[in-house]
Amino acid sequence: MSGVRRYKHGSRVPGWDSAADLDKAPATIPDPALVEVPVELREQIEAAMARYPERHSAALPALRAAQDRYGWCSPEAIEQVACVMRVTPAYLASVASFYDMFELAPAGRHSVYVCTNITCSLRGADELFAAIEDAVGDDPEIGVRGFECLGACDIAPMVSVDQVYYGPLELADAARLVEDLRAGREPIPELALALRPSADPGAASA
Amino acid sequence: MPRPQSNTITFSIDGREVQAPENMMLADAAKLGDIEIPVFCYEPKLGQPVGACRMCLVEIEGIPKLQTACSTAVKDGMVVHTRSERAVEAQRGVVEFLLINHPLDCPVCDKGGECPLQDITFGWGAGRSRFIEPKRHFRKPLELSPLIAIDRERCILCYRCVRFAQEISEDYQLILLERGGHSFVGTFDGHPYVAPFSGNIIELCPVGALTSRPYRFRARPWEIEGSGTVCTLCPAQCNVDLTVRDERVLRVLARQNDEVDDGWLCDKGRFAYQSVHVDERVTAPLIRDGGELREVSWERALSEAAGGLRRAGSKVAALAGGGATNEEGLLLARLVRDVLGSPDVDSRPTGAVALDDWRALAAPALAAKVSDLEFAHAVLVLDCEPLDDAPIIELRIRKGVRRQGVSLLLATDRPSALDPSARASLRFAPGRGAEFAGALAAAVRGGDVDAAAAGVSAEEVAALASVLRDAGEEVVILYGERLLDGGAGALLDLADALGLASCAGAGLIGIPEFANGRGLREAGAAAGVGPGLGEVAGGRHTSGIGAGLRGGELTALYLLGVDPFVDLPDRAGWEAALEHATTVIAHAGFLSDGLREHATVVFPAEAYPEKEGTVTHPDGRIQRLRPAIARQGEVRATWSILADLCRALGSDTAIATGAAASAALFEAVPMYSGLTLEELAGRGVRWVEREQATALPRPTAVPAPAPPRPAPASAGRSLVLGSYRSLWSAPEVAASPALAFLHPPQRVEISPHDARALDRGEGEEVLAVDESGAAVRAVVAVRDAVPAGRAILLAGLANDGANVLTGGSVELRDPPPPPEPEPAAEAVGEEIEEALV
Amino acid sequence: MSPTILLRDIDEPGLATLDVYERRGGYSSLRKALAMVPDAIVAEIDASGLRGRGGAGFPAGRKSAFLPKGDMDKYLVCNADESEPGTFKDRELMQKCPHMLIEGIVIAARGAGISRAFIYIRGEYEAQARILDAALAEARGAGYIGERILGSDFSLDVVLHRGAGAYICGEETGLLDSLEGKRGNPRLKPPFPALQGLYQGPTLINNVETLMTMPHIIEIGGAEYAKLGAPNSAGTKVVSVSGHVQRPGNYEVELGTPSREIIFDLAGGPPPGRRVKLWFPGGSSSPVLTEADLDIPYDFDSLAKAGTMLGSGAIIVVDDSTPVLDVALKVAKFYRHESCGKCTPCREGTNWTVRMLERIETGEATPMDLDIMASVQERIIGNCLCVLGDAMAMPISSMISKFREELEAHMLSRQLADVAA
Repeated sequence: MSGVRRYKHGSRVPGWDSAADLDKAPATIPDPALVEVPVELREQIEAAMARYPERHSAALPALRAAQDRYGWCSPEAIEQVACVMRVTPAYLASVASFYDMFELAPAGRHSVYVCTNITCSLRGADELFAAIEDAVGDDPEIGVRGFECLGACDIAPMVSVDQVYYGPLELADAARLVEDLRAGREPIPELALALRPSADPGAASA
Repeated sequence: MPRPQSNTITFSIDGREVQAPENMMLADAAKLGDIEIPVFCYEPKLGQPVGACRMCLVEIEGIPKLQTACSTAVKDGMVVHTRSERAVEAQRGVVEFLLINHPLDCPVCDKGGECPLQDITFGWGAGRSRFIEPKRHFRKPLELSPLIAIDRERCILCYRCVRFAQEISEDYQLILLERGGHSFVGTFDGHPYVAPFSGNIIELCPVGALTSRPYRFRARPWEIEGSGTVCTLCPAQCNVDLTVRDERVLRVLARQNDEVDDGWLCDKGRFAYQSVHVDERVTAPLIRDGGELREVSWERALSEAAGGLRRAGSKVAALAGGGATNEEGLLLARLVRDVLGSPDVDSRPTGAVALDDWRALAAPALAAKVSDLEFAHAVLVLDCEPLDDAPIIELRIRKGVRRQGVSLLLATDRPSALDPSARASLRFAPGRGAEFAGALAAAVRGGDVDAAAAGVSAEEVAALASVLRDAGEEVVILYGERLLDGGAGALLDLADALGLASCAGAGLIGIPEFANGRGLREAGAAAGVGPGLGEVAGGRHTSGIGAGLRGGELTALYLLGVDPFVDLPDRAGWEAALEHATTVIAHAGFLSDGLREHATVVFPAEAYPEKEGTVTHPDGRIQRLRPAIARQGEVRATWSILADLCRALGSDTAIATGAAASAALFEAVPMYSGLTLEELAGRGVRWVEREQATALPRPTAVPAPAPPRPAPASAGRSLVLGSYRSLWSAPEVAASPALAFLHPPQRVEISPHDARALDRGEGEEVLAVDESGAAVRAVVAVRDAVPAGRAILLAGLANDGANVLTGGSVELRDPPPPPEPEPAAEAVGEEIEEALV
Repeated sequence: MSPTILLRDIDEPGLATLDVYERRGGYSSLRKALAMVPDAIVAEIDASGLRGRGGAGFPAGRKSAFLPKGDMDKYLVCNADESEPGTFKDRELMQKCPHMLIEGIVIAARGAGISRAFIYIRGEYEAQARILDAALAEARGAGYIGERILGSDFSLDVVLHRGAGAYICGEETGLLDSLEGKRGNPRLKPPFPALQGLYQGPTLINNVETLMTMPHIIEIGGAEYAKLGAPNSAGTKVVSVSGHVQRPGNYEVELGTPSREIIFDLAGGPPPGRRVKLWFPGGSSSPVLTEADLDIPYDFDSLAKAGTMLGSGAIIVVDDSTPVLDVALKVAKFYRHESCGKCTPCREGTNWTVRMLERIETGEATPMDLDIMASVQERIIGNCLCVLGDAMAMPISSMISKFREELEAHMLSRQLADVAA
């Protein structure tokens, strides 16, 4: 099996090789009598459900709330969400695994998405991605992922660090970014997208 | 609600003019012109088409892009080409795409020979692939559950199985994980897919990705024969197609009958065939000899039985149940009533129902059919749990709610699996269905409601009544026949208040406790009921028979498919009754400890695949059983044993064949008169729709509701006792190696409130003790949906069933240390796999 | 230079706040619209000739008119799931001028008689989601959304819904499934969302830029707006220009502006000494054009005539330093990653295409493989459930046909290198 090209870029490890564990009970809708859900999380999920005409619409915000709390969508986290939403954990697992932003394995405190799509790669993103991976090494607190187009080709090559956009980066910025994160500082602050003016001549107010 | 109807239109397909109902999907309409359009994801049973596999692309004149025939409704004048150059190119493309990662391991695939992917590749593929990259390879097969193996290499991601779990069984356990080419079918966090209807996905799978673990490598399609019959393991009486090889049943498939099962099966129906071929099964006659049961010849067993019956004479009583057919019921009633002169025959586990009530309830005007559940404005589930009592009916109810927007109302004494689908759910006190029905009828009529006896508030009842009244006139009430213990009058009153008799599509469906309860009654094997619901001299009902035996007024008991120790309330009472009886004759496939100890003669019972005869569905449909295999061992036909006993006791029935037994039935039951077995083959016949239905005797008096009994109340630390029989509490389940893991141990469901108050936690072992001191061991199950003050236990278990308890309430105590360690449950199915690879 | 409508003064400090937006005349179009009968609003939009700015270019007025009249629950969904590679206009617009979007949403909802609106914003746009949330709160406080807007009989509830990372949710029916809390799989059409969309109700789905144009149309009138732009391509368009250009960014141009002007005069063209080798005129899913096509007017019809499309209005420029194979691989891998997996040709075809391109890269392919690859694209195009498969197959097809020589030369050079080794 080693010769088969497997999944690396921008994707997670699939569970194709896993059988069900026949010692486990089937995963039905969790009984509220048996699952403890932190009050704050319950309130977040209930508030999300109240925003929509149909409670299932709260799946994404509810999973996000759980991920924010636990760092990833662990099976326990999914069970808690399922318990409040009155759905099976499988329903939520199916949804969560469809979307790139849900972590289905323990993730570090910081997330770094490096855009490696066309525009960014035309401007050196693949090298940048490698440099950031190098700088991070095996630090479990920083999760680095190659990501598809993040919608900021104007600052290519760019990264999204803990959901904040920075760019354009030079190769040398890789080490500094990681250093800043480890030091608990905002990374490469002067490259924040928020500071960037529009390119259009009509954008600046007269 | 309006049933779908449509006009006939004419369209052209590959140059043929074809007539079809307007708006039928093209993939189906093409078949009417003998043209096959290949499909993978399309399966009309699963609801709206999804257009995922793209296999059915065809060219339609006037539409620039190719269209999926599965999702295109035919219109008048439409011109379709399924074999045009563009269509063929697209079809070949889809086959090529599907096969690029398919392992093409047909020689070792269990689906080989009956595989749509093979057929379609042959019929519509290009015959070669241009894909030269290495294929993906993964571990296979893997367990998806003890019953189902999954081979993800073979999966073509057609979505059928996950759609089943989402839209049909609604268990939402089977899912697609990941996205795109990484997508795969799986479950949450490695939990097995164990759900009451899981086996249907095997049959839905159009490739060899989902296979039955018990069936894997048992046979190739050219070695097997299919044989249609009816499953009699529960009142739903699904139509089945048995896969037979060398006189063994190897598999059960659905034989779609839209008016009965919609083409689905529960896992009990699908896998309990294994119990036909296990060693524990009784396959030879036994008699008690020196305190032990031992095998004897048929002559010996029959003469022993006849002797016992002769000695008891009119002191014989008989109980029929299980999968006993109409013919068997008729012959049993003849044996007991006409030959032995005893009036005591019954086929219900509990109390009495007046003949007039039976007649009123059977009135054709009040008869709803299964498909009415799908199109009614409202369905009221009253005092039954469809999932346990008639599982396939549950799927029909879900279908109606999901697709037609049926208002589902539940009034039961315990939480229901249908609660999430219901517009309103209400819980009355255990065993107080009759009182509830009375209160509901009063509320529907707008009168004063006193629901205290049912253990619910008047407001709750009024609210339910108003939903029911306003839902629309087509109301179907699906009730459990246990309700009729005191509740027949109230139910009829409710039906009257809702005007069900005057509305087509409205009516009643009663779920009997035994699979063929309705047929046995109509054949005359019920207390005070003659064939065709005719007059007979009164007789004891089941609990009266127990009392009669204990009191010595009765001395012999004939058990046809009933095991009092498992199936009837008051186990201790029945032990005493059988202790008193001098003769106990039982037809049994499996011996419980009680029967082993008390039976004097045991006749090996036929399994349903061996049976011939007829049964009657709860909605009045008479269906025909046809033997699929030879009877195993020395098993004989039940009708012939009954006929032999009649003859031995001096009354020749002149019935020498199964067909003759059926003819006798059709002659004896006026509503069935004129029926033939040929007519019943296939889909069966609903007698309530026949002309002869007028032969049903009318009630002589208007049945009156019974006076309410006070609601049971919990006091101190005691909890009001409720019980139910699980779908899996059946000897056939326990005896089937693949299903045994589902046979439930005793557990006591309590509310979180009581768990806290009594300091009992999930999984804790307790002793549930009633007022009389009777006790059963159980494991605590804390369930949010259980009302406070209740304890719900399982009935129908071989030993620690709820029928050990006779009181109305229980206390939970610490159990004494277990007598000896239980033998470990056997690992399921593992060795089957190994043995064959 | 052409008139700027959406980007005008967009860098004005504080424009994202209600205060500054109102001071600049914001929400006056809403007041005007509330005084109009709903049909008149739709008529103005229709008269403006505004075509959808999200990718398909469907006339916005006609789209509104498709919604059935009546009291049923109808929904407006703002598609802010901007994910097409090369596209970043909605990001800047929402970040800098969120109230204009809210104003556009209320106007569009009022026109179509809708009382519930959702903004589906891609999950990665967290900063923009915060800004929009704050703006929605301000607007609610000021009575621009919510019950009885500005004292009228019109009420509209607007909910911001964040995606979670899936390109396919930009496809309108995939978006609806995602908004309903499911996997974002596209649905079969028909039924079209205008009749059966969100929660099975009639649903109007519009792109951010489309909605943000509506206040201006109401302000100046549809006929006046229609004077801008090119035939059948009215108005201005915010174009995201990126890749090998010296000044990447969003530029608002009148439709019909020569492409060369956008790429060179506005965005600065490729770095000194380099030439344009190929360019995507409408995001990575549009068939590529070459240097020879630079004078094509940038509008819907001219680009369609050139065999490509305006799409979301995202120009990606690739200069002569980059092998076409690299671009093709990026495109194919992206669509493989984003294919939802529901339909066969897209799920399998994107994967197969990537595998073949990888083989070309490593020199294990022959020119015959280019024919097979082209034929695979043919078998994808038009045969999928949604347009994602086409979104890969069309640019790949165009690259194979326009750069076949280069691809064959690459194979040969790799093989020669192998022989030499």
